[in-house]
Amino acid sequence: MSVIQLENITKTYKIGEVETRAANNVSLSIEEGEFTALVGPSGSGKTTILQLMGCLDKPNSGVVKINGQDVTQFNSNKRADLRRKEIGFIFQFFALIPVLSAYENVELPLLLNGVPARERKERVMDLLSAVGLADRAKHRPDQMSGGEQQRVAIARALASEPAMVLADEPTANLDTANGQQAMDIMQRLNEETGTAFIFATHDPRVMSHAQRVVQMRDGQLVDDGNHDATILGAAR
Amino acid sequence: MALSKLWVIAWRDLARNRRRSFFSLLAVGLGLALLILLNGYITGVVEDALQISIQLETSHLQLRAASYEDEKVSLQWKDLLENPEALAAEAAAIDEVEVAAPVLWASGVLNTRDDSVGLQMYGIDTTSALYAPFQETMVAGEFLTPDDRSGILIGKRLADSLGIKAGDNVNLVVVNADGEADESVFAVRGLFSTGIFKYDDAAALMPLSKAQAFTGADGRASAIAMLLHNQDDADTVAARFQNPDVATLTWEDLNAIFLQTMDTAMSFYIIMYFIVILIVAVIIANTLLMSVYERFREMGIMAALGMKGRQIMLMFLFEATLLGLAGIVVGIALGSLGVYYIATTGIPIGDMGSAAGDIPIGSTLYGKFNPSGMVWLSFWTLLITLLASLYPAWFASRLQPVEALHSS
Repeated sequence: MSVIQLENITKTYKIGEVETRAANNVSLSIEEGEFTALVGPSGSGKTTILQLMGCLDKPNSGVVKINGQDVTQFNSNKRADLRRKEIGFIFQFFALIPVLSAYENVELPLLLNGVPARERKERVMDLLSAVGLADRAKHRPDQMSGGEQQRVAIARALASEPAMVLADEPTANLDTANGQQAMDIMQRLNEETGTAFIFATHDPRVMSHAQRVVQMRDGQLVDDGNHDATILGAAR
Repeated sequence: MALSKLWVIAWRDLARNRRRSFFSLLAVGLGLALLILLNGYITGVVEDALQISIQLETSHLQLRAASYEDEKVSLQWKDLLENPEALAAEAAAIDEVEVAAPVLWASGVLNTRDDSVGLQMYGIDTTSALYAPFQETMVAGEFLTPDDRSGILIGKRLADSLGIKAGDNVNLVVVNADGEADESVFAVRGLFSTGIFKYDDAAALMPLSKAQAFTGADGRASAIAMLLHNQDDADTVAARFQNPDVATLTWEDLNAIFLQTMDTAMSFYIIMYFIVILIVAVIIANTLLMSVYERFREMGIMAALGMKGRQIMLMFLFEATLLGLAGIVVGIALGSLGVYYIATTGIPIGDMGSAAGDIPIGSTLYGKFNPSGMVWLSFWTLLITLLASLYPAWFASRLQPVEALHSS
């Protein structure tokens, strides 16, 4: 079953007098447990597509379905509910709440979902162990390296057992070793939990992990296939 | 979501920007301290002036002839009380009454060889505790005895201005009960210094019986003055005197002009209060708005995690509450210190009090602790702080996640 379906999505932004079409009649379906890379040059519309999938924004036209349900016209509260339960986010900048410790950052989605204390504690520690940061639980973001922060963000994205995790350029600010480690962890958690991962990236290291690579250019899907074919296609 | 976590975030966000938080809570604190100080000052001055007026002038309750008019200081028999001793004894027998005594008022002119000055004459029961405030502030000579037939007391300031001292003779002129001028020579037995210009500059005390003889009042009195154990009983005690020829006037009636003046002064104080509180509100709103601007991206992250607008709003209101409460603690501490200073040391105003006319004000003004005032002012400060934070909080809650996430 599709965790998310985009049907004929169009999204335009107006900056001053200039109108930019960031997504142009895009249709895309992501299945349960997929590990998908959304690739393309800067300005190709990757981030816009992720934001529409993540219910952070609404399309100008077209339909967004999550778990088969049309969520296009949900109000801000309903969209917040949906994000809380079904969607995990990982951003390019290490988007942790700076005043909260690693533990508290991972705990936040569980608190928002009203998970009981004991279960919360267990789950947070499991996730921190899974990303290799159990011993850093009490550290605040400014006491951790970029790689460690991004691993906390990965743990947080998976905290409420979402149907999908949307990651926007997750390795862009990491060095090779940390980027590789982050990708390995995400791939492992994808396999263990069955959560779908969708990455916006132009990093070949990320693409090489993907089962499916969706190529975008100028707001349109130009290719959708396995990564070897797509990377070769992109190179041609 | 557990509210406790929102409190934690609010608290840590304040701690993150220690300097800004400190100055904001200092603004709340100083604002409140200023209000507490103003309130303590006004409470002190008003209550002091009222109590001085009651002690020295009006007492808590007066009985007068129904036809007596204050402004005329009439000595006509129809305007005076017959048999005042009996009436005073009747009043003194009432449980709520602490002390009661007859008094005779007259307008007079005091002449020395070189000068003359208009003053108010008080024929008093020299043994009555009503006149303890004068007795206690004698600075020269002696207090009057009941059978003194030629002695008066005047204020030291008056004596100094006329160049006379205790023991000197002065000439006193009154318009008597028959409307004719009468004069007599009196010896200044002593000088009092109540600290209140109205008395120290323009009052002369003499024994009641002498005043009655001098003015032709023939055993009558202008009023029976009463001090009560509790001033709130004035109306109850007044109701005991059901005589159509006798008017009862409570301390509130007798100080009506003063109380009205203070009400007017109070509205000025309220304007000051609003100005101060408005400044505090602007500072708080500015602090929180800056905090919102700095944390756009965090708001975006929280929204992405599924936090709702109202939860984000609540987080900022919690921050304002913490700032407000800490500011209130500082304000109460600083304000109390200030009130303690003006309550013990006072504010010297020199001769300015003499310009206050009928309002009995001394040369030093004292403040007074007003706990209920402090509670109210603190409550209002917190409320205004929260109201001032509503806009920044609302603004934060309305941020679109996409815009917030893309801000730098």
